[in-house]
Amino acid sequence: MRTSLPRILSIFVMFAASAGAHAAVETVVGKPAPAFELPVFGSESRHVALESLRGKVVLLDFWASWCGPCRQSFPLYEKLHGELPAQDFTLLAINLDEMADGPAAFLYEHPVSYTSLADPAGDVARKFGLIGMPTSFVIDRDGVVRSRHTGFKPQDIDAVRGEIRELIAAGTEGRQADAN
Amino acid sequence: MRINFGAAGRLILVTAALLGGCATTPVQPWERGRLARWDMRWDPDPLQAAMREHAHFSKEGSTGEIGAAGGGCGCN
Repeated sequence: MRTSLPRILSIFVMFAASAGAHAAVETVVGKPAPAFELPVFGSESRHVALESLRGKVVLLDFWASWCGPCRQSFPLYEKLHGELPAQDFTLLAINLDEMADGPAAFLYEHPVSYTSLADPAGDVARKFGLIGMPTSFVIDRDGVVRSRHTGFKPQDIDAVRGEIRELIAAGTEGRQADAN
Repeated sequence: MRINFGAAGRLILVTAALLGGCATTPVQPWERGRLARWDMRWDPDPLQAAMREHAHFSKEGSTGEIGAAGGGCGCN
C-alpha cells in the first residue's frame, strides 16, 4: 500500500484544527432554562429541581469558594433575598467546588438563608454555558432565561434588583388580569 | 507500506504533527479551583518574596536586576 503525502497531512491537519475547534458557547438567554435537579449542599438527601420553582422569578447564582467576587456578591444577594417577596422570588445558588471543604468554610464566613446546591462536576454549569465566575441568570416565571450576569461588582446588584422587580411586577399584573 | 517524502514534505509533516500537540481541552471557568489555590501563586508569601527581592536587588543592583538600578549596600 502506498500512502500519499496529502492523505497523511490531512490527518494531521484535522488534529491541528481541533486545537482551535472548541465548541462555541451557545447562549441560553431568551430560551427555556436547561432543566436540572441537584442535591442541596451539605444535605445530599434533599434535592431541588429548577422545574419545582416554575411560577417564581429565580436568580440562579453559580459560585465557588475560591472566587473572589463571590465574597462581595453573597452579602448583597442575601439582602436581596430578604427584601423581595418569597412567593414571587427565589434565589438559588449552585456551588461548583470540586471538594466540599472550601464551600463549607465559605458559607461559615458568609452565611446566607437561601439554598445552595452542589454541582461538583459542573454538569449544570456546562448546560448554562458559563464563561466566567461568578455567573448569575435571571429566570422568569415561565422558566425562560431573561439575562446573564458574568462576574460581579457591588454596583451590579441594583441592575439585578431592578430587573427582578420588573419581572415580578409583570407576572403579578398578568395574574391579576387573568383573575379578572 | 512505502512512503516517499521530500525534505519539504518531511518538514510539513513534522510541523503538522507538532501542531496537533496544541490540541487541548480548555479549562472551564468552574475548574479553576486548583489554579486559584494559595500555593499555586507565583509568590505564595508576599512578605517573604519582598525580603528575597530586597536581598537580591541589593546584591544585583548594579545590573538593574528587578527593573530598577540601585545601591549595593542593602540599606535602603
